[in-house]
Amino acid sequence: MSIFNAINTSGSGLTAQRLRMDTISSNIANADTTRATMNENGEYEPYRRKMTVFGSKGQSFSSVLNQATTGSSSAGNGVKVSDIVEDDEPFQLVYNPNHPDANEEGYVEIPNVDPLQEMVDMMSATRSYEANVTALNASKTMLMKALEIGK
Amino acid sequence: MSLFGGTIQSLENSLQYASVKNQTIANNIANVDTPNYKAKSVQFNNILNDELSKGFKTSRTDARHLDFSTESSAVRVTTNTSSTYNHNGNNVDVDKEMTDLAKNQIYYQALVDRINGKFSSLQSVIRGGN
Repeated sequence: MSIFNAINTSGSGLTAQRLRMDTISSNIANADTTRATMNENGEYEPYRRKMTVFGSKGQSFSSVLNQATTGSSSAGNGVKVSDIVEDDEPFQLVYNPNHPDANEEGYVEIPNVDPLQEMVDMMSATRSYEANVTALNASKTMLMKALEIGK
Repeated sequence: MSLFGGTIQSLENSLQYASVKNQTIANNIANVDTPNYKAKSVQFNNILNDELSKGFKTSRTDARHLDFSTESSAVRVTTNTSSTYNHNGNNVDVDKEMTDLAKNQIYYQALVDRINGKFSSLQSVIRGGN
């Protein structure tokens, strides 16, 4: 166990929240993108909303075995982004016959991004990021104080 | 009686506890958005040890019982799996974690202050009051 374990843990939290923020930014930036990917028929498909999936770090075999035998778990090693998944919600249809990607009936498929949802998610990511910064500063102050022992 | 007495040992154990507690809080905060993550907490039996070591003998009948000897590490991390605070199975209460963080920081600083006080009084004795 390194003395910087707590700082590394908070650091992993910062990385994960920033990646979450990047994903949200990408979703907001592509809220109107109708030509994101090309499907097998050679047609453009709108942008699909992306989400980050968080998992706890340090679920290694030894830590699980230790918990099972002694009932005591380790302090943990932070958080990791285990996956970035795409939202399977169907695309919305908007009537806009002048749009170059409109179908025969004049409807355009637009991305399944809900800006409201993204804003709420963004607030959550910001607050979690701030909490991690506070925890990191606390660990730093404690380590600096530890260096004063015996001075 | 030894030169350092029991104070330094007690302070060291307490510092160890505060350090593990800090790591645990940092981990809880890092995992505040992790689905199904359960908050961890730290158990400490130093005060109990000090009282127990004066009087009677104790024995452990299960490996999961807290150790009563003062030499071994008296800190234990446990996971609270009994509650759910968030709809995604997570039970980290950020407000509680942040207050615990502030408390733990002051506690740690106080311990370092005390251990320094102990060393400086020892030094004062060694120098014969000069």
